[in-house]
Amino acid sequence: MSLADRRYTLVICEKPDAARKMSEALAGGSAKSSSVNGTTVFSFSRKGEEFVVCSAQGHVYGVSDPAKERAVYPVFDVEWYPSNLVGEDSAGAAKRILAVKKLATSASRFVNACDFDVEGETIGYNLLRYACGGKEGTALRAKFSTLTEHDLLSAFDDMKPQTGQGLARAGRARHAIDFVWGVNLSRALSQSVLSSGHRYRTMSIGRVQGPTLGFLVLREREIREFVPLPYWKVQGVFERDGKKFTAGYSKEKVGVKALAEKVKEECIGKEAVARSVRRTAVRVEPPVPFNIGDLQKEAYRAFGFTPSRTLQVAERLYLGALISYPRTGSQRLPPSINYRGILQGLRELTEYSSQAAELLMSEAKPAQGVKEDPAHPAIHPTGEKPRRRLDFAEVSIFDLVVRRFLAAFGPPARRELVEITMNAGEHEFRLVGGRTVLPGWMKYYGRYVGYKDSELPVVFEGDSFRVGEVSVEEKFEQKPLRYNQSSLLEKMEREGIGTKATRADIIATLVERGYVSGGSMEVTDLGLSVVEILAKYAPTIISTELTRDIEERLEGVESETRGEAELLRETVRSIASQLMELYANEETVGREIDSALMSAVAKSFVLGRCPICKTGELRIVRSKTTKKRFVGCSNYPSGCRASAPLPQKGTVKATHKACEHCSWPEVYVVGAGRPWKLCVNPTCPRKKKS
Amino acid sequence: METLCKSHLPQEEEVMKCKVCGREAVSDLCVHHAKAKERVQAAYPLWAVAYGRIDWEVYLDNVKRNPQTGQWAKEIAGYLLGG
Repeated sequence: MSLADRRYTLVICEKPDAARKMSEALAGGSAKSSSVNGTTVFSFSRKGEEFVVCSAQGHVYGVSDPAKERAVYPVFDVEWYPSNLVGEDSAGAAKRILAVKKLATSASRFVNACDFDVEGETIGYNLLRYACGGKEGTALRAKFSTLTEHDLLSAFDDMKPQTGQGLARAGRARHAIDFVWGVNLSRALSQSVLSSGHRYRTMSIGRVQGPTLGFLVLREREIREFVPLPYWKVQGVFERDGKKFTAGYSKEKVGVKALAEKVKEECIGKEAVARSVRRTAVRVEPPVPFNIGDLQKEAYRAFGFTPSRTLQVAERLYLGALISYPRTGSQRLPPSINYRGILQGLRELTEYSSQAAELLMSEAKPAQGVKEDPAHPAIHPTGEKPRRRLDFAEVSIFDLVVRRFLAAFGPPARRELVEITMNAGEHEFRLVGGRTVLPGWMKYYGRYVGYKDSELPVVFEGDSFRVGEVSVEEKFEQKPLRYNQSSLLEKMEREGIGTKATRADIIATLVERGYVSGGSMEVTDLGLSVVEILAKYAPTIISTELTRDIEERLEGVESETRGEAELLRETVRSIASQLMELYANEETVGREIDSALMSAVAKSFVLGRCPICKTGELRIVRSKTTKKRFVGCSNYPSGCRASAPLPQKGTVKATHKACEHCSWPEVYVVGAGRPWKLCVNPTCPRKKKS
Repeated sequence: METLCKSHLPQEEEVMKCKVCGREAVSDLCVHHAKAKERVQAAYPLWAVAYGRIDWEVYLDNVKRNPQTGQWAKEIAGYLLGG
C-alpha cells in the first residue's frame, strides 16, 4: 500500500538528521525510508497509529518584496515565498515543499517537531501554513531538548495543541523587520555608490550589523588615535642565605623617569624587611553550566574557534544526540534532565569514566547560573556514546561540554593567595601569587581551568634581606585591544542586540562584506566610511537603542504579551525617515563610499616600505607592454629603481611583514594548491643560502 | 586693457583634501587626523614631565616610531615632523 492510500500523522522536523533520529526512536528500529519528490521520508506504526516523518532543511520559506527590483526603494510590502524563489537557497527548498504538500493531502493529523525556539517554530509554522494548507492552528507540538530516545518518546507522549504561537509570530516579525531594514538600506547605499559613477556594488547594513559595526569603529578610532605615555617599571631582587626572589615596586607604573631612578638609587645594596606576609584562603565556586554564549566564549579561549564555528559544531553534536539543544540562553540544569542517568552514561566513556563514577557517589547537584530560558535547559551531554568517529572540532567541543557539566557537579575549590610586602627604607615592594590548595571542581574541568599556580618563596614577617639588583625598565601604555570574535559576542550580549541564535552569523557577515578583516577584527576603511556616513545621515540605523528596543518588543511578542503589528508599523516609520535623509544626500554619500572603495583597492596593491629608497612604497604593478605583474616602487618617477618579479599565477596578497634577511616585503601567493609565503627580493640572502 | 587674473574667473567648487591621507577635509586635515593631532599635542606635556624635558621633534620622532602608537597618530607625527 503506498503512502497516498493511507491516513497518517504527518510529523515535520527541521532537518533530515533530526527526522532520521526521531523515526528511529519512535519506531523502535522499524521505520521504513522511502523517497517522496526526491526527499527521504520515514514511515512506521506506533501504538497502532501510522506516522510519516518528513523534514525541512532549515528555512524553506523566506521574506521578499513582490517587485524584486534591486534599484527600487523604499520597499515596505513583503511576502513569504519559497526560499528558492527569493534567492536564499537552493533547489532543495522547492523539492522539500512539494514533498510536504504531497504528504499533507493524506494526513489526518499534523505534528510540528522542529526545534523548540524562534527559528524552529517559524520553520514549522510556515510549512504547516503554506505547504499543508493552513494547519498551523490545529497541529500538535512535540517539544524536546535532546534527540535521545528517552526525550523523543516523552515528547510524543506529551504532544499538545499549540496556543498563541508567540515564538512563531515573533520569528516571522523578526524576518520581516530584518528584510525591510536590510533591503532598503542596502539599496539606498548601493544606489548612492552607483550614482557616484562607481560600478554597481552590493552594500549591506543590517539591523544588528549596524550597531555591531558601530562598536568596532568606536574601538578602531581609539586605537588609531592612540598616543602611548611612557612609564617605568621598578623591580628589586631580594637575597637571603643564597636564595633570591624578585618583587615589584608597590607603584606598578612610575610615571616620571627621575622618580624611578631615585627609587633604584635609594634601595640598591640596602637592607629590606618583610613587613607583612598575608595569606588569604579563597573559595572558588564551580562554574555554571553553559548557555550558547558562554560555550562560544570558552571555545574561543580554549581552541580559538570562532563563535559561528562553535555553533555549527555544537549543532552537529546535537543532531548526533550527544549534547542537548545548543541555542539556549539558560545556565541552569533542571533535575528533569536526569543528572544521574547522564553521569551513568558518561561512566561508560573511558575518558570520563572515573570522574563520572566519583560524582555518582556524591549527591550530584549541579551549580546553577542566573540566566534562564523557558524553552531549553543549559547545554549538557546526553550521556550517549558517539556512534560515529568525531572530527577534531567535534571532539574538542564535546570534551568541553562534558567537562563543564562534570565541573558543575564538583565541590568548590580552595585557593590560597599570598601577598608579601617588603620595605627597603621608605620604599615598598610587593610579591603576589596564588596556588590551588584543594582542586574541587577543577579536577573535572581539567585543562580548561583558567587559574595558574605561582611559586612563592617561604618568607616570614620580620625576615631581613639584602636588596641586590634593582631594575628600571622603560615601558609604554598599551593601545586598547581590538575586539576579538569572542569579546564582540560578549559586547553584543551585554548591549542586548541580536539573539543567541544570530549573533555569531552577524559577526561572520561583517567579515564577508569587507567591513572588518577576519582574524584581527580590524575595521577596514570601507567599514569606517559606512559607519561615518550612517552616523551623519541616518544615525538611528547604527544606534544601539533602536535595535535593543526592537529586540525587547520582539521578546514581548514571543511571550505573547504584545502584538507584532504595531512593532512592524513603527519600524517602517523609523526606516522611512532615515531613508529620506540618505536619498536627499545620495550624491555625497556615494562619493564618500566610492572614495573608501577606491582606497581599499589601492591599499590591496601596497606590499610594504621600499628597502632601497626608504621612503617609497613597493606596490604590485602591471606592465603596460607585457601585461605581466611585478613589484615596483612608488618613487619610480623620482628615480628609485627598486623592482622584483612576481609569480604570474595565483593571487598575491601582502603579509605586511618585511623579510628578516633583507627587509623586502613578504607576500602570500594563493593559488590552486597550498598558499605559500615568499620574499619578493630575488637576491634575498636566504634564497642564496638554500 | 585690463585682463582678468585667473583668480577672478569663476572657479569650480573644490573639495578640501586632508594633507595626510587625501580624504575630504574641513581645513587642512580630515576629522581623523585632526583628532589625532589633538591627541599628539595633548600628550607632549605629559612626555615632557615623564622625561624631565624632551624636544618637540624628538618627541614626535619617538611617537612616530613607537609600536603602540595608533596609525593616525603615527601619520600625523610624521606630517608634523615635515616628512
